[in-house]
Amino acid sequence: MGNMQLKQTDLELIESVLNGQTALYAELVKRHQRFVFTLALRFAKNREDAEEIAQDCFVKAYRALGTFKQGSKFTTWLYTITYTTAMTFLRKKRLQTDSLDNEENTIQLENQISDYNADGIEKTSAHVFLYQAIEQLSPDDATIITLFYKGEQSLEEIAQTLNMEANTIKVKLHRARTRLKEKLQHLLKDEVKELI
Amino acid sequence: MKTIEEEIWAYIDDACEPAERLEIEAKIASDPEYHRLHSELMQVHLMISAEELDEPSMSFTRNVMEQVRLEVPPVALKTKVDNRIIYSIAAFFALSILAILVYALANSNYSMSGFKLPEMRLDLAMSPEATSFSVKAFLFLDLALALVYFDRFLRKKLSTK
Repeated sequence: MGNMQLKQTDLELIESVLNGQTALYAELVKRHQRFVFTLALRFAKNREDAEEIAQDCFVKAYRALGTFKQGSKFTTWLYTITYTTAMTFLRKKRLQTDSLDNEENTIQLENQISDYNADGIEKTSAHVFLYQAIEQLSPDDATIITLFYKGEQSLEEIAQTLNMEANTIKVKLHRARTRLKEKLQHLLKDEVKELI
Repeated sequence: MKTIEEEIWAYIDDACEPAERLEIEAKIASDPEYHRLHSELMQVHLMISAEELDEPSMSFTRNVMEQVRLEVPPVALKTKVDNRIIYSIAAFFALSILAILVYALANSNYSMSGFKLPEMRLDLAMSPEATSFSVKAFLFLDLALALVYFDRFLRKKLSTK
C-alpha cells in the first residue's frame, strides 16, 4: 500500500481524496510540508507561528480541493494558498505588535541565533550565515528566492503564485539576490572581525 | 541595457540565448570585473542551492489530519452541481407554467369580441375557421421561439465573457 501511494502523482492523490479516500490527504501533506513550512518561516520568523501558518494552509487547501483545476500544477496552487495565508498572518501580527516595541522581536531573534551558537560546528557553517541573511530580507524577497531555488518554480509560476507579472518577478528576483549577497558579505565581514 | 550583474545572473540561471551565453562566457574569461563578479554570484548561487528545507515538528501531519477530519470531505466541483438537479428544477417550472396556463385558459370566459387583429391585406386562400386560432397559435409559437433564441443568445454572451 505504501509503495502504491509513493508512485501516485499529486493529481492522482487529489482525485482519490475527492473520491472519498480522505486519508490519502496525509500523503500530500507529507510530500509538501517541508516546503510549505519553509515558506511560512520566511514570513513568521519563528517555528511556532510558521507551523500554525503551514497547518492552516493545508486545512484551507483541503477545504478548497474540489475547486482545484486538474490541469494545473498542484504545488503552484498550494504555494498561492501558503502565500496568502502567510500574508494574512503577517497583517494580523503587524496590527498586534504595532502597540508594542521591538523588544519581543529582538528576544526572538537572539533565541534563534543562540540555537545555532549552541552547536559549534553549525556556527561556522555557511548555512547559518545564509539562514541569517535570508531572515534579514523582506518576506517577499525571501519568498521569491525560496520559490525559485527550492520550489522548482519557473518565473511564470512564481508570478502566478504571487499574483504579479513574470517580468516583475524577474526584476524582484534579481534585486532579492543582490540584497542577499550584500547581507551575506556584511555577515561574513563581521565573522572575520570576530575571528581577529 | 543590462547591468553586468544581470548579465551574469542570466548566465548562471541559463536564461540567455546561446550567442549571448558565449559572449558572457568570453567576458568572464577575459574581463577581471566580470570574473570577480561571476565568482561572487556563483558562490551565492551555490549557497542558496545547497540550502536545506526546514522540517516542521514530527506531529505536523498528524495535527493537520486531526483538523482535516473535522472538515466536510471535499468533492469535485463538477459533481457538486449535478445536471439532473438543474433539469429537474427546469422541468418543474416548465410544467408549473404550463399547468397554470391550461388552468387559466380552461376557466376563463375568453372572447375576442373587443379585440381586432391588425388588418392585413393578404390575399391568402384560408378557410375562415382556421384563421383566428391558427394565427394566434402561430404568433404564440413565434414568441416562444424568439424567447428561446434570446435566452441562447444571452447564454452565449455570458460564456464568452
